[in-house]
Amino acid sequence: MDIQPIHPEPTSFIRKYVFSTDHKVIAKQFTWAGLLFLLFGGMLAMAIRWQWAYPYEAIPLVGKAVLPRSAGVITPASYQSIFTMHGLIMIFFAITPLMIGAFGNFCIPLMIGARDMAFPFLNMLSFWTFLTSQMMILASFFVQLGTAAAGWTTYAPLSTNVGTPGWGQTLVVMAIFVTGMATIMGSVNYVTTVIRLRAPGMTYMRMPLTVWGLWLTAILNVLFVPVLGSAALLLTLDRVFHTQFFIAGAAGGKGDPILFQHLFWIFGHPEVYILILPAWGFVSDLVSFFARKPAYWYKGSVLAMTAVTVLSAVVYGHHMFVTGMNPLLGQGFMLLTLIISVPAEVLFLNWLHTIWKGSIRLTSPMLFALGTVFVFGLGGLTGIFLGTISTDLYLHDTMFVVGHFHFTMAAAAFLGSFGALYFWFPKMFGRQMNETLAKVHFWPTVIGITLVFGGQLVAGYAGHQRRLFDPYQYTFLQHLHPLNKFTSLSAFGLGLAQLVFIYNFFQSVFAGKKAEINPWGIGTLEWEIPSPPPHHNYDVIPTVVRGPHEFAHPEARKLLGRDYLTQTEELPEAGAVLKGDAGKAAAGA
Amino acid sequence: MIPRRFTALALAAAGSAFLATAIGYAAPQPERGLGMPRDVSVEGHRIDWLIKVTMGFVIVMFVIMCIWIVWACVKHDTKHKAEYDHGSSVSQVRFAAALSALIFFVVDGNLWVNSTYDVNYAFWNFAEAEAKPNAVRIEVNAHQWAWDARYAGPDGKFNTKDDIVTLNDIKIPVNTPILIQLSGADVIHSFYLPNFRIKQDAMPGMINRMWFTAKDVGEFDIACAQHCGTNHYKMKGMLTVLPEGEYAKWAAEASKHGERGFDANDKDAHWGWDWRVN
Repeated sequence: MDIQPIHPEPTSFIRKYVFSTDHKVIAKQFTWAGLLFLLFGGMLAMAIRWQWAYPYEAIPLVGKAVLPRSAGVITPASYQSIFTMHGLIMIFFAITPLMIGAFGNFCIPLMIGARDMAFPFLNMLSFWTFLTSQMMILASFFVQLGTAAAGWTTYAPLSTNVGTPGWGQTLVVMAIFVTGMATIMGSVNYVTTVIRLRAPGMTYMRMPLTVWGLWLTAILNVLFVPVLGSAALLLTLDRVFHTQFFIAGAAGGKGDPILFQHLFWIFGHPEVYILILPAWGFVSDLVSFFARKPAYWYKGSVLAMTAVTVLSAVVYGHHMFVTGMNPLLGQGFMLLTLIISVPAEVLFLNWLHTIWKGSIRLTSPMLFALGTVFVFGLGGLTGIFLGTISTDLYLHDTMFVVGHFHFTMAAAAFLGSFGALYFWFPKMFGRQMNETLAKVHFWPTVIGITLVFGGQLVAGYAGHQRRLFDPYQYTFLQHLHPLNKFTSLSAFGLGLAQLVFIYNFFQSVFAGKKAEINPWGIGTLEWEIPSPPPHHNYDVIPTVVRGPHEFAHPEARKLLGRDYLTQTEELPEAGAVLKGDAGKAAAGA
Repeated sequence: MIPRRFTALALAAAGSAFLATAIGYAAPQPERGLGMPRDVSVEGHRIDWLIKVTMGFVIVMFVIMCIWIVWACVKHDTKHKAEYDHGSSVSQVRFAAALSALIFFVVDGNLWVNSTYDVNYAFWNFAEAEAKPNAVRIEVNAHQWAWDARYAGPDGKFNTKDDIVTLNDIKIPVNTPILIQLSGADVIHSFYLPNFRIKQDAMPGMINRMWFTAKDVGEFDIACAQHCGTNHYKMKGMLTVLPEGEYAKWAAEASKHGERGFDANDKDAHWGWDWRVN
C-alpha cells in the first residue's frame, strides 16, 4: 500500500512557503488571499451603505483618495462598479477561497487520514491560477472606463459592449473564467482525494460531516463551474471578437440574452449551495463537538445534504420567473424549489436535537456555529417567498432578495467560516487564538449581521428595488431613507467589529499561546497529531474504527475518565491497555 | 385661410393645458410605515395575503427555533450530563421525517396551491384578459433609460398614424383590464409597478406580457427593477389611473396629436409591433 509515500519536507523557502505542494500551506495561502479580499469586498459594501445613508456626500476619510475626480462623492457610474465588484469579490474571491480553498484543503486530507491531496502539484497550480484571477480583478480597477459595472450576475446584453464597453468588464469576465479553472482543479482533487485516500476503516458513513459538506461541494463545482466557464467564454467572444451570442434588439444581434441567464443560473443556483454546504458541514460537526453529544441522526444529515446537492441542479429557474418563462415550466421549478425545504428542515431538526440534552460549552466555535443556525434560519425561511411565483412577482429584484441571499450566502457562510477558523486555528498555526476576543468579536458580528440584512429584508418588503444609486428618486421609497440610514449605521458597526478579529488573528498567528495536540477534546483524526501537523501529517496512516461524534460514551467515561472516544482507539476490554497513538498520548499526558 | 401651423400651435396649447390638468389629478402619495405600498390593483390582495400568511408561519417557526436554542444553552450547559444518543432509532427517525413532512405540506403546500391558482387564474391568465371587450392594450418599449409607450388609437392597430405615443407617462382607465406587451431596445429592463404587485422583464428581441386592473384613481410610480446601466435609478415613469370618461377624452385628444406629428419617413419612431395573441 504505497499509494502515499512519505516525501522529505522541502527546505528552501520558495518550495516550502511559496510554490508549496503541501495542502496545509496551500490552505494558509488561500486563507490569506481570501481574508484580504474579504476586507476589500467589505469596504466596497461600506461604500454602498454610505451612498444609501448619505447620498451625494463625500465619503469621509478615504473618499478623496479613492474617488479623486468627484472629490470623494460616489457618482452613478462608480456606484454601479462598486456594487458589481462587491458581489463578485465576495462570492468568487473571498468566500470561495476561504471555505473551499482554505478549509477544503486543510480539513479533507487531515480528517480522512491522508498524507496530502491526491494530486499535490495540481493543488499548487490551483492556488496560483486563483491568484492570477485575483490579480486580474485588481488590474481591472486601473484600466480606462474602470472596472466591471454590469452587476455580479453579469447579465447580457448589459455586460456586452452594448452596455459596458472597455477592458475593465472584459478583464473581470476573463477573471471569472480563470478562477473557474482554479476551482475545477481544486475540486477534481478533493473529489478524488475523498474517494481514494480515506484511511483504512474510514468508510463514507464514518466521515466527519465537514468532509461530507466539502466533498459534495466539490462534486457540485466539478459539474457546474464548467457551465459558468462556457458562459464567460461566450461573453468574452461577444466582447472581444464581436460575436453575437447574447446580443439582440436595436443593437442588431440575432442572439439570445436569456441564453446567458440559463447558463449563469444552471451554475448559479448550485453555487449558492456550494457556498453553504461547507458551512452546513462545519455546523453539523461543531454543534456535536461542543454539545459533547453524538450528532443526531448522522445518516439523516448525510442524506439531507446529498438530497440538496441533487436538487440544487434542478431548481435554477426560480431566478427567472419574470423573464417571460413558460408558466408550466415556472410551476415545475416552483415545486422543485419548495421541495428543497424538506432536507433543509431535516438538517435544522438534527442540529436542534443534537444540542438538546447535551452538555453545551459556549466556546467561540460553538457560538459561531449557533449563530450560523440563527442567520441561516432567517435566510432559509425568507427563501420560500422567492421560490413561489406569485409572491416573487412582487419581491423579485427587490432588497428582499438581497437580504435573503445575504443571510444565507454571506451571513451563514461567513459565520460558519469564522467558527471553522476559530476551531481549526490551533491545528493550522500551532497557536491558540484569544478566546475572550473571539467572543467579543462574536456578539457585535451576529447582531450587526441581523440588523443589516434584516434592514434589507424590511426595505424589500416595502418594494425597494436593488442596485439603485439614489432610491429616493421614487416617491414610494422616500419614506425609507431613515430605515436605510439605520441599516447603514449597523453596517458600519459590523465593519468596525471586524477590527477585533483582525487584531486577534494577527496577534495569535505571530504571538499566540502554543496550542496543544487536542485543545478542544475532539475525537476526529487531526486532533491526534501535533499542532501544527508534520509535513506528511501521519507517520503511520491511522486505522479508523468508529464515527467522528462519539461523545458522552458511557464506556469512555468508565475506562478513560473522559467523555469522548477518538476515531482510532479500539474500545478495550475492561482493564485492558489502550492501543494506538491515542493511547500513548493519553498515557504520556 | 389661417396658416396650418397656427392651428397646430393653438391645438398644441389647448392639448398641453388639458394634459396639465390631467397630470395634476392626484400627485403620487409618499408611503408611510414599513409595510408594502398601497395596493391599488384588483388582484394584488392575493399576493399580499400569501406573503402575510406565510410570514406568520415563518415567524412562529423561527421563534420556536430561537427559544429552543436559548433554552438548550441555559438548561443543558456544562453542568448537565450529555446523553449518549445518536438519534437514529426508528421512532426518532420517523419523528424527524414526519415533522419535516408536516411543515412541508402545511407551509410549502399552502404556497404552492395558492400560487398555482393565482398565477393560472389571475396574473398570467392572459386568455381571459384578452377576451374582455373593454381591455386597453399598450405596447411598452424599454430603452436606456426611459419607457416608451404606444396605444393603438381608434383603429385598434399598432404602428399606424393614429397611435398614441408617450414617454415615461402611461395613462389608464380605472376598473379596466390593462394588457401590456413589453420589449427592450438595448439591455434588459424590468417593468415594475409596486402598487400593483407585479413586474415583468423587458427583453431585447422578445415580447413579454403582463396584465392588471386598477381599482383606484391616482398617480403611481413605474419603476425599473433590473440593473440596466449607469442611470438605472432614474428610469422612472408615471402611471396615471383616470376615471373611465376622463381617460376616453384624453385618448381621443392624444390620438389626434399623434396623427398630427406622424412622419411616415421616421422609421425609428415606428417601433411598435403587431399585437401578439399567444
